[in-house]
Order: sequence, then C-alpha cells, then structure tokens
Amino acid sequence: MKSLTLERVSFWYPATEAPALRDVSLDVSQGEIVALVGAVGAGASTVLLAAGDLAPRLTGGRIVGTVSRRERSAIVLPTPWTQVSGLAFTVWDEVAFGPANLGWPTHEIARQVDRALEHLELGPLATRDPATLSGGELQRVIIAATLAMDSGLVLFDEPAAELDAEGARKLWRLIRVLAKEGKAVLLATSALDALPDVADRLVWLEDGAVRAVGTPELLADVAACDAGLGTSVATVWGASGLPGPYPLTVAHAVRRWR
Amino acid sequence: MTGRRLHPFTLLAIAGALPALAWILPAPAGGACTAAVALVLTASRGLRRGLWPAVLTAAPFWVFLRLLHDVPTTIAIGLRITTMVASFVWLAATLAPDRLVEATVARGWSVTAAYLFAATITAVPMLRGRARRIVEAQRCRGLSPRGSLGNRLRALRALALPLVLSALHDVDERALALETRGMVSGARRTPLAPPPDSAVERAARWALLVACVAALIWRLK
Repeated sequence: MKSLTLERVSFWYPATEAPALRDVSLDVSQGEIVALVGAVGAGASTVLLAAGDLAPRLTGGRIVGTVSRRERSAIVLPTPWTQVSGLAFTVWDEVAFGPANLGWPTHEIARQVDRALEHLELGPLATRDPATLSGGELQRVIIAATLAMDSGLVLFDEPAAELDAEGARKLWRLIRVLAKEGKAVLLATSALDALPDVADRLVWLEDGAVRAVGTPELLADVAACDAGLGTSVATVWGASGLPGPYPLTVAHAVRRWR
Repeated sequence: MTGRRLHPFTLLAIAGALPALAWILPAPAGGACTAAVALVLTASRGLRRGLWPAVLTAAPFWVFLRLLHDVPTTIAIGLRITTMVASFVWLAATLAPDRLVEATVARGWSVTAAYLFAATITAVPMLRGRARRIVEAQRCRGLSPRGSLGNRLRALRALALPLVLSALHDVDERALALETRGMVSGARRTPLAPPPDSAVERAARWALLVACVAALIWRLK
C-alpha cells in the first residue's frame, strides 16, 4: 500500500522564478525505503518538505501537482540544534515533546519514549540536558524524538550528517528495522556507499527533476559515476579504466576479480 | 528567595505586579519601593545572572532621561523603568520555560501561546551565546572588536549581520521542526509533569491583582 505519492509536483520557493522541483513523481510504500540522491541543489530536501506537508504551507511558495499521504509524517532535518524544542531540560523530556503534543496518554508517551531511547541507545543520556550534548548525540536524540511519534511515514534529510562512522552504521540498521516494522521511509542522503545495503529504490534528482528511478545498482551506472553519484567502489573502478559494468560494492568487486 | 520553585504563574504575577505598581503608585516613593524589591529579587539570582544585567540594561535609560528631563522627572521615570527591567531580568533568570508550558497546558490553555512567551524569555541567552560564537569566529578571521571607533563599528557590523541572518534561518528551521513534532495550533498537549500549585500561591496571586486594582482606584480618586 502506498504511503506517499507525488504526482507531477512542481514547486517554486517564494520570490523565485525557477522551480525548485519540476514534474516530480514518486511513491513510497509501507515497509519500503526510497533514497533521493543528487547533487547539491538538486531538490532532495524540497521533495522531503513537500512530502511532509511543510512546503508550501510553512515555507511559502507555490506548488503544482498532487501530494497524497496515507500516514502522519515525521521529518528529521540535517541540523539537530535547530530541532530541539528549547523547552526540555532532559533528553527524556525532549524525546517526549512530540508525543505529548499529540495528546497521547502519559503511559503511551512513556512507552514510546523508552522504546525510542532504546532504539538509539540513548538510555544512559536520558537525564542529560540536551544543551550539553555533542552534535552527534543531539542528532540521535532528534531521531529518537521523531521515532517516538510513531509516524507511518518517516522522512530523513541527511540524517547521518552529524554522526561518526559507527553512529551512521547503527542509523542505517535502524532505518532497515523501521521498514521491517512497516514504516515508509523517504531518505535524502549523500552517504552513497551506505545505500546498497539500506535503500530498496533510488530516485536520482537533477535540477529539480527526476532523472532516473531504479534499484541501488543505479549507483554503479556509468552516468551516475560521471555525475559524482556513484559508490566509492564504482567510481574508483571507472576512474581506473577497468571495463564495465562497474561493481557496486567491495563484495561485488571481489567477485569480479575472482 | 530565588523564586525557582514557585509556580510559573506566581512568577509571572510578581513580575507583572511590580512594574504595574511602579507606574500606579506615586513617584518617587512608589517607584523606589518597587525598584528596591525588583533589584533584591534580581540580586537573589546572583550578581552575574541577575543584578549586573539589570543594572547595565537600566543605566542607559537613566542617561537618556537625564538628557531630556529635570532631576525629579528622571528619578520618577528612571525608578519605574528600573523596576520593569529588573522584573524582566529576574523573570528570565528564574522562570523555567518547560514549567511554564506545563502549567499552561495543565490549565487547558493553548500550548502555542505558552511556547511563544517561553521562547521570548529564552531568546536573550540564546542570542548572547550565538553572538559570542560569531565574535570568536570573526576573531579567527582576523577581525578585532577592540581599538578605534572605526574598528569597533566594523566589528559590530561583522557581528550583527551574521547574527540576524543566522537567527532568521534558525527560526525558519525551528518552525518546520516544531510543526513536524506536533506543535500545531489547537493541539491538546498532554501535561507530563505539571508544577504543583498550592492554595497559598493562588491566594498570593489574587492578592497581587487586588493590590494593583486597589492602588489604581486609590490613585484615580
């Protein structure tokens, strides 16, 4: 079942003539992870804002086309320090901020918050003041706060930007767990090497339009590598002048060598 | 008394009643009394967090008043403004925004209105911290905020522009983030830990209101 559908969506930010999105169509089903890839300014963040009903409602601007959602959505933005509520003096309260705004009973709030903290391994930080956390810790708190709202559609905009390598690996595993639980995930990221193990489908955006849709194998495509959107292995393979098709991951490359 | 454990509505009542009384009661005695109480309250929050910010904020008003008015008028209005400034500084240093929101929600009022007020209270320390970081960043890039007047003006511009622009950008992103976390108009938020509100505090708030109204009637007679 489709959780999110964008049909021929074009979007203009206020006071701009050039559209940030041009005729974008995509969908995300329950239990599916769709990744948006593209160069800076390709429109991935704008797609997320439109998918989350934040553009143009909060950003202003003009939209043409249809965005339909079957689920309540939640979004994780790339800068954690602008997402803290400013009203909580412990991590636990920060994570509970969203569920409390939804008016849930306190026992349900406690259950969801504890579960989200456990998912993100934040139990030891539960009583810490969010203002004292590092960028990576704060990003995990914001992700936990988003998960605690138990939304069916989860939107991630560069969620690993503040995380170290191990933190990012845990996040990708968590996103797979979310999909297994039936959530629809739309993800914009420049961590291309993670996508073969994370994403079910890829949408390649260029200048606000969809250039290609496919499986993560797309990241080993010659055109994607030429556009700087190949995985490290595929890019190195291509740059070395080795014959195609390019391998997507190290495992693929090893198989090719043998 | 620091006021830290008082109910948020009691803190608001005190911070509202003091300036009201300062303007209602006859000058300079009325203003002197309220200013003294307000300054004692700010001092209770510590010299650096309470008294000094209040005094330093009120001082320019005294200078401008003296330039424009005679001494008695300067004292009369200066004491009233000092009461207002000191009351706000005390409130900002004492009122925990999360407790205010919880108290407001527990009373069944709009969470967005409470958030707006709480955000105003917390804006000053947040902007101060951001300004400090910008000054440090500009220093690393060779800009000195010391020296001649020209140097200082250049430094001020290099501080003000990024401060305002980054604050506006943050407001944009924060609005998106709050919206997606359920902070929408008309939301019925669940109070997680509403602060206790004793009968004594409720009576004290009513007493402050009655005192203001009585003083107003007395002055209008």
